[in-house]
Amino acid sequence: MADAAHLGVKGVSKRYGAATVLESIDLDMARGELVTLLGPSGCGKTTLLRVIAGLVRADTGTLSLAGRDVTRMPPYRRNVGVVFQSYALFPHLDVAGNVAFGLNLKRLPKAEIEAKVRRVLALVHLEALAERPIRALSGGQQQRVALARALAVEPSVVLFDEALSALDRKLREAMQVELRQLLTSIGATAVFVTHDQEEALTMSDRIAVMHRGRIDQLADPRTLYDRPATSFALSFVGQSFRLSGRVVASEPGLSVIDTAAGQLRAPKQFLTGSDVIVATRPEHAHLGHATLGPGDNSLAGTVSNVTFQGPRSLVEVRIGDAFLTVQMPGRSAAPPIGSEVTVGWPIAETLIFPAEGEP
Amino acid sequence: MKTAALILSAVLAVAACVFLLAPLVVVVLASFSPTPVFDLPTTGASLRWYGRIANLEGFWPALGLSIEVAAVSTALALVVGTLAAIAAVRGALPYADAFAALLVSPLMMPGLVLGIALLQYFRAVGFDAPLAGLLVAHLIVTLPYVARTMIAGLSRFDFTLIDAALTLGCTWRQAIFKVMVPALAPSFLIAGLFAFLASFDNYPVSIFLTDVRTKTLPIKMLQYIEEAPDPTIAAVSSLILLGTIVLLIIADRAVGLSRMAGTSD
Ligand SMILES: Nc1ncnc2c1ncn2[C@@H]1O[C@H](COP(=O)(O)OP(=O)(O)OP(=O)(O)O)[C@@H](O)[C@H]1O
Ligand SMILES: [Mg+2]
Repeated sequence: MADAAHLGVKGVSKRYGAATVLESIDLDMARGELVTLLGPSGCGKTTLLRVIAGLVRADTGTLSLAGRDVTRMPPYRRNVGVVFQSYALFPHLDVAGNVAFGLNLKRLPKAEIEAKVRRVLALVHLEALAERPIRALSGGQQQRVALARALAVEPSVVLFDEALSALDRKLREAMQVELRQLLTSIGATAVFVTHDQEEALTMSDRIAVMHRGRIDQLADPRTLYDRPATSFALSFVGQSFRLSGRVVASEPGLSVIDTAAGQLRAPKQFLTGSDVIVATRPEHAHLGHATLGPGDNSLAGTVSNVTFQGPRSLVEVRIGDAFLTVQMPGRSAAPPIGSEVTVGWPIAETLIFPAEGEP
Repeated sequence: MKTAALILSAVLAVAACVFLLAPLVVVVLASFSPTPVFDLPTTGASLRWYGRIANLEGFWPALGLSIEVAAVSTALALVVGTLAAIAAVRGALPYADAFAALLVSPLMMPGLVLGIALLQYFRAVGFDAPLAGLLVAHLIVTLPYVARTMIAGLSRFDFTLIDAALTLGCTWRQAIFKVMVPALAPSFLIAGLFAFLASFDNYPVSIFLTDVRTKTLPIKMLQYIEEAPDPTIAAVSSLILLGTIVLLIIADRAVGLSRMAGTSD
């Protein structure tokens, strides 16, 4: 409670038997912030969400929410809203009954409950379906009911566990934008769980990349994309071109790395002799000697494929045993398949990480 | 060829229904017979046998006992069977499948065997309370119906509903009674109905466990037929049939017949 965070997760760990599912997780969220937990299957996203909701008790660590220490508080006193992946709507109640469920438990006056239900249903554009039984709703409508039910009790934080993943792609993309606008407009604080990076980029103020029970990086989408903190964060968000190598020389702000494909420079000092991964984003790369400047890395490769897409061409270049896809304007002539080319990119846009398996 | 096969299967289906229903029709017709011996074609209709039901020696106590035993054993079976089904579906028990099969196994056992076994067992342990013994036996008879239906219902039940209720402000107890019980209400109704009927018309198990003073309706009815085979028994049967139909209609209104028959969700 000493800290000002609206939601404060400190040093939370959870083990199931021998398996450590969460390992000293720290996460502070401001009021009104939208944060996504992004990570591959089994990395502990759902477990962390359930710890926040109080459905799972953490082994160590503390939780605070809206100025209260909720570490030992049961879920029914925490005032969190959860939208489950399966929606978990009550089949014996109609739409309005589901939305009113939490309000009824608070024993509010009947008129007040009805007014609130109407207001929340309007928020999710379901006024017309208030009397519908749950089984007569489409997936998208069920999703909205689940959202309305969670928002109706005005929770301190709303948690979404892959809440959009059951929708088809088009509806999902529309819902991402709409949901974000809605949550922002009512000033809700929300945590999303997803393994869909585009959803994470669209929905969040900040993204927590989770990997094997830890948060690898917690940053806004742009920082996460431009300056990934670990090679895992790099590979999980966006496209990247990666080579492994060994540092052969270094000075403050610069490392020289030998890779199987040639020598590269990276704008960060690493211990000479350490094994590293060197990477860049494909959009920084350009083709041909003529475009190279003094501040560029360059490698030789062979064109393995060319795809013409109208406004642009995608030229796939094989460098050692890695592939790098370079974009060219559609009008300029792409090099023929099989030809030798030079690929360059700025040293400033070169990323370097310790090789995998090291801290 | 295909239409011929369809027609044939339709004819067979109708024939099967007629075959199943014919005895019931005969019983109902016989109950309205004006003469003590039932003849076709009938010479008119009469309610005299219905009037005589009330005067049957020992009819009311037998009916009362049957309803009492069926109601109590169904209620017990609903509680015990549901808890056992939860253990089978959710308990992460070792050999959960074997446990579920064991719960349902009395269904597969001939009632005669069960009756004799219980009789000898009760004697062996010196358990001499006919009514309690009958209740225990009927609990064994009804439990599998409840367990089977509740295992099916629970394996369709999404336990995230409980999590949802907890986060919306329900305590554990409230989550059970406000969400789980109502969501499973159709299963409870079906289980209760089957269990009640299974107990109410049970003969082979009961026959071994009743004495002169505790006779259930099916046993009493067989006794009447042996003593005086007039249409009074047909009238009793018709009334039981009527009661069953009323129960089924109520259940159909509540949850749908196809769901009870297990032919759809
Ligand atoms: N109740 C439990 N008992 C034992 N292990 C569990 C339990 N719950 C989760 N785990 C394990 O913890 C790990 C993390 O699970 P979690 O559900 O948090 O993953 P997730 O990141 O949500 O994955 P997904 O994207 O597949 O949903 C998994 O390896 C899982 O098997
Ligand atoms: Mg999950």
